[in-house]
Amino acid sequence: MSTAMNFGTKSFQPRPPDKGSFPLDHFGECKSFKEKFMKCLRDKNFENALCRNESKEYLMCRMQRQLMAPEPLEKLGFRDLMDEKPEAKDK
Amino acid sequence: MGGFWCRGWRSVALCGRCWRPPAWPGRSVESAERGLRRLGTWKRPSGARGPAAQPPRRPASSNPFQRAQEDEWRRRNKTVLTYVAAAAVGMLGASYAAVPLYRLYCQTTGLGGSAVAGHSSDQIENMVPVKDRIIKVTFNADVHASLQWNFRPQQTEIYVVPGETALAFYKAKNPTDKPIIGISTYNVVPFEAGQYFNKIQCFCFEEQRLNPQEEVDMPVFFYIDPEFAEDPRMVNVDLITLSYTFFEAKEGHKLPVPGYN
Repeated sequence: MSTAMNFGTKSFQPRPPDKGSFPLDHFGECKSFKEKFMKCLRDKNFENALCRNESKEYLMCRMQRQLMAPEPLEKLGFRDLMDEKPEAKDK
Repeated sequence: MGGFWCRGWRSVALCGRCWRPPAWPGRSVESAERGLRRLGTWKRPSGARGPAAQPPRRPASSNPFQRAQEDEWRRRNKTVLTYVAAAAVGMLGASYAAVPLYRLYCQTTGLGGSAVAGHSSDQIENMVPVKDRIIKVTFNADVHASLQWNFRPQQTEIYVVPGETALAFYKAKNPTDKPIIGISTYNVVPFEAGQYFNKIQCFCFEEQRLNPQEEVDMPVFFYIDPEFAEDPRMVNVDLITLSYTFFEAKEGHKLPVPGYN
């Protein structure tokens, strides 16, 4: 929301999220996954690329507990992680 | 046929129209002349105007046929004028109505404001992270004065690259003894980078209820559009700040919802 003074400049337009809102995790069902993710972030100096496995697991926890609409993980941008898994299994 | 009438007069007196007055055998030339002079349509040979002469106007003629025809023309002129005036007023009204109509159009088609390409799930599936462009995303949490929640981010910053989905957490606690419903909105600075900041799922724009003494984790799942790396205006942008603000959801209060603001 821009202040009234900036008449000429473009103001920020908030956009709704693509898949809507996360239901609140009132019972803390996925809290352990979240803690793992946060620990990973703190260890890896807050680099997201190194903690993607943990974020994927958090989202899978949410999907299993009906706290998120189930979606194939490729659609959530985890395709590279999915490609790795079958390879790891083969090895 | 009006044999007493000079031909030149006739054409001039009747404003160039070839129209023959019906013969009035009783009249003399002089009285006719006087009559025409009175009506002011008779062009003097000298061309000068008389002292009390009006500018040449179409006279109300005494001939019933001509009068009827002139009435017809006048009526037609009036209708044409009415249509033109109505069209002008209609145009003015349309220009005023365009604003809410466009707003409605934007809301129904979802093209609200930004002209960025659609963020479909196909795009997320196929996007390739731009690994050489690291962006620092910092998080900010605000609460409206009337909302008694403790709301804060759980990480101060996170390093992402465009095209990579990322997860971040906020934490909210209701320290009071009664349930409170909050609703949040967000802001991204710099504003221009905000159009590349896409949230897949978050906790904004919907009412969130916290029971007394309850504490919850609120995740934000987002990504930065890979086209960010190709925008020349974003070359110097390395820091994006995501800021959430929670308000208390009260009856009748309307949060500015996304769309046409």
